[in-house]
Amino acid sequence: MAGATANLEKIEGWDGQTSPMRASYGKLFMWFFLVSDALTFSGFLCAYGFFRHRFAGEWPDPQEVFHHFPFLHGKHLPLMYVGLMTFILIMSSVTMVLAVEAGHRKNRRQVLIWMFATIIGGFMFVGSQAWEWYNFIKGTDTGAVLYENKMYLYKVDHTTHAIDTTTLRFKGAELSKEESARIIASGEKFYGANLKHNEYGHIAFADFFFFITGFHGFHVFSGVIINIVIFIMALQGYMDRVGHYEMVEKVGLYWHFVDLVWVFVFTFFYLL
Amino acid sequence: MSEFHDPFPSYETMSQHDEAHGKKARRTLWNVFWLLLVVTIVEVIVGLYAVDWNLSKTFLKIFFIGFTLVKAFYIVYTFMHLGHESKWTKWVIIGPFTGFILYLIFMMVIGEGNYSMTKRLDEPAAKVEHVDGGGH
Repeated sequence: MAGATANLEKIEGWDGQTSPMRASYGKLFMWFFLVSDALTFSGFLCAYGFFRHRFAGEWPDPQEVFHHFPFLHGKHLPLMYVGLMTFILIMSSVTMVLAVEAGHRKNRRQVLIWMFATIIGGFMFVGSQAWEWYNFIKGTDTGAVLYENKMYLYKVDHTTHAIDTTTLRFKGAELSKEESARIIASGEKFYGANLKHNEYGHIAFADFFFFITGFHGFHVFSGVIINIVIFIMALQGYMDRVGHYEMVEKVGLYWHFVDLVWVFVFTFFYLL
Repeated sequence: MSEFHDPFPSYETMSQHDEAHGKKARRTLWNVFWLLLVVTIVEVIVGLYAVDWNLSKTFLKIFFIGFTLVKAFYIVYTFMHLGHESKWTKWVIIGPFTGFILYLIFMMVIGEGNYSMTKRLDEPAAKVEHVDGGGH
C-alpha cells in the first residue's frame, strides 16, 4: 500500500530492522530457483550453439525442417506455426500478469478469470508442441537414405524447395549421380528423426531439439499444473483468508520465466 | 502474516495497490504486450525473407540476438516486476546470473569449447564416435 511503501523508503537496509531486499522469503527464493534454472537452459543453448558452429556444413536449415501448418498439408510455410506458438505463449504471459495485477487489488473474480485463461493458453502451447514433435518424428514424404549406418540426404533446391531424388548429399557435400544411384539402390529409406538417426541432417540437431524443447515443454506442463493448484486455492478463498495474493505472483514469476526461455529457444532454434 | 520473518513490514502486501494505480499498471502491461508482439512479427518477417533480401549471417545474428535481449528485458522488467523490486533484489538476481553467463560463454569460446573445436573432435579416435551421428 502507498502508506506502507512510503514508510519503507525511510527505513535503511542493513540496520537489523528490515531486509534490504524488501521482498518476502518465498518470492526471493522463487527468483533464486529461476536463476539456477535459467543457467541450466543457458548451458543447453550454449552447447547447441557450439554444435551448430562445429557442424555448420551439415546442420539442417530449420526453415527446411519446420514448415508445417495444421490443415495445410504440403504447403511450405516456415516460421508460421512456431510464430503462432510464440504468440500463444506471450498471450498467456499477459493473462498471467493481469491475474497478478488483479491479485494486487485483491479482486478474486478477476484473478480466477485471468488464471483460467492462462491455463488454457498453457494447454494450447503444450498441444502445439506435441504436434510439432509429431511432424518432426514422422518426417517428410521423401525421407532420406540410410546406408551403412550413415544418413544420405536428397539434394534440395533452396529457393523452390524442390527435392532431387536422384542426387544425394553427405555431410553437406554433393555426391555424383552414379554414386547416388548406387547408394539409393542398396540403402534403405529413412523417415523423420529419433535419437539415433535424423533425416534432416546432423543427428545432434534432433538430439538437441528433443532435449531442449522437451525440457521446456516439461516446464510449461509443470507450470500449468502449478497454475491449476493456485487456481483451485484461489477458488476456495485461501488467498482471501491470508490477506494477500502473493502466491499468484510467485507462480506468475515461474510462468513468465517459461515464456522467457521460449523467447530464446525460438531465436536459437528457429530464427538463427 | 508469517512468523518466519520480521512482522513489519509485511512484504507480501507491499505490492498491493488501488484501482486507479491498477489502471495505470494495466496500460503498461498491454503496451509491453504490443511491443513483444510487434518485435516477434518483425523477427518472423526478417527470418522469412532473409535469403531474398541477401542479409548477411553476421547481421542476422546481431539482429535476432539483439531483439531477443530486448524482449527478455521487457519480460523480466515489467512482467516479472523486477523493475519494481528494491535495488538489492535486482542486484542479487542479475549480478550472479550475468557473471555465470559470461563465464559460460568465455569457456565455450576460449576454453574447452575452442579446444574441442580445433583439436579433440578432429582426432581419429574421437571421430569414430561421431561417424554414426555425423554421417549426413
